[in-house]
Amino acid sequence: MLERYLHALSLADPGEEDPAVTRERLRDRFPKGATRRMTQLGLLIGAALDDLVPRYDDAVVYATQYGETRALEGYLDSFPAASPTLFQTSIHPSAVQQAMITRQQPVGEFFPMTGRGHLVAQAVQTSLLSPAPRVLLCGGEERGTWLLTRGVASDRTFAFAVALTAEPGGALGRVALRPEDGTGGATEFSLPDFFEALKARQALDRPVGPGARLILDWT
Amino acid sequence: MLPAAAVRLEAAGCITGLGDTAATHAALLRGERALALSPVLGAEGGELVPLALGGGRNLDETAPPNWLPLVQRLAAAIPADEWGSPTRPVFVTSSNFGVGSLYAFRRGGDPGHLAYGTPSLCVEWLARQLGWGSTVTTLSHACVSAHLGLTLAARALHAGLAERALVFSFDFISPFVTGGFHALKILNAGFPAPYADRPTGSIGLGDGAGFAVLSRDRGEFTISAQSLYNEMHHFTANRADGAGFAACLGPVQAAASGRRLWLKGHGTGTLEAGRLESAALAAAFPEAPLVSWKGSLGHSLGSCGVVELALAVESIRTGRAPGTVGGVAPCFTPQVALESFSTAGHDGVVCTSNAFGGAHAAFLLTHA
Repeated sequence: MLERYLHALSLADPGEEDPAVTRERLRDRFPKGATRRMTQLGLLIGAALDDLVPRYDDAVVYATQYGETRALEGYLDSFPAASPTLFQTSIHPSAVQQAMITRQQPVGEFFPMTGRGHLVAQAVQTSLLSPAPRVLLCGGEERGTWLLTRGVASDRTFAFAVALTAEPGGALGRVALRPEDGTGGATEFSLPDFFEALKARQALDRPVGPGARLILDWT
Repeated sequence: MLPAAAVRLEAAGCITGLGDTAATHAALLRGERALALSPVLGAEGGELVPLALGGGRNLDETAPPNWLPLVQRLAAAIPADEWGSPTRPVFVTSSNFGVGSLYAFRRGGDPGHLAYGTPSLCVEWLARQLGWGSTVTTLSHACVSAHLGLTLAARALHAGLAERALVFSFDFISPFVTGGFHALKILNAGFPAPYADRPTGSIGLGDGAGFAVLSRDRGEFTISAQSLYNEMHHFTANRADGAGFAACLGPVQAAASGRRLWLKGHGTGTLEAGRLESAALAAAFPEAPLVSWKGSLGHSLGSCGVVELALAVESIRTGRAPGTVGGVAPCFTPQVALESFSTAGHDGVVCTSNAFGGAHAAFLLTHA
């Protein structure tokens, strides 16, 4: 069984807050002038990561199904005069890069992941397989506009970051993946579901992917 | 950075604007260039820029995407197995997935494109087309994406979570991405000349897809010292001191000590990155010839790491590595090989890729 201990947790659940309001609210969390071109997801992920004080030898695992939706919408709308800025910020994994570049924060491993029903299982597995002393597992979505009306964007905005180490002392909880035979029923477990479990500090012991059971304990 | 444990490479293959692995390798040896000047926005026109499309494909998106037959042709070369089962996981990597479909929808209004527009929809559709199960992990880190798949697959194998792993990488260009690079002004009317010391830099963009089958103990080749590093200095530029390149190459340099190497670099044709990359490689491996194939194939983005791995394997098998097609003297360093050369005097190749955000990836490929 793969496992690590959860030592820090940061959550952002701004509801339907407008991106401009988020930018103003979080402006002081970033270097002066840096937030002007940041996306809402970049701001939220950046603030969540900042709470965990990233270090050079951390590994960062980033999970999102849709990524930088608003930048993508803006970039698509900019044609035929394509916007170079929106092109850059629409590319996965821009949200984490926006935050870490503004802080000039290098990191060895960075695993940006995407998916749907098994994304949580895969991101947790990637975190637990990392040899780095500390893994920052982060993720989130931003609410779309015209892509949402077409069913290809998130309907809510949220972000989270957790710090995972091998050290049990002083931990807030434990995250583990246990192999199983895959006959345990429905296995899909979405990123918003995981966010809600973190927010409620809900204990989990359930299938989350093919042959994988997620265990989340709180102390 | 801690390097991933070594794994064996059972099989690798690719498809490019020049055809399958063997056809691409042979054409590169002949110095052929897949890139051709084409309107940057396809049917909507625009400046003529160097693009390399596979199999006579049109840049304009269709629904379903017109690159499916190319992927199916490539997939037919993958050794048969229960891919996508828990012990045979698939690691899919791409930068663009089907995002060109969102462009097609926004420009033309046909909702049929939406079924392929997000990474998850695109990969789920692809998995159905190729008959994979549901153990499919998807990674997307721009032009180092393929390396992340190789690294994660190696870790799954060593943790005993997999007995065999398939890394499948693809990126097919569309007006979405050609328009973006054109807006950044690095995709322009000039053909790329990787590592050439010239006044203006330029890249080409090309279709690419590839696969690698990894296991712990079977296969003719070994992939070791997989290394990753992220500068997080600037979205589209590297630190001027080249420290990011050196940080990534360090573990590979240590693992390759005493070997007679050649280098398959990233080499897109941009000036500053090419200068820094070639200098870092020359400092780490001063005796090793350096090649890039993107002057012919174009930059195949998130797939380039696996596409070029397959071509490196083909070079070792056939005994001859293509030179830097499209490159011209003077080059940034004397190690840049413009002509093809025999691999007989070498016992390893270092493969590198770089990406937006100052992301770096590298590994060592040797005979098992």
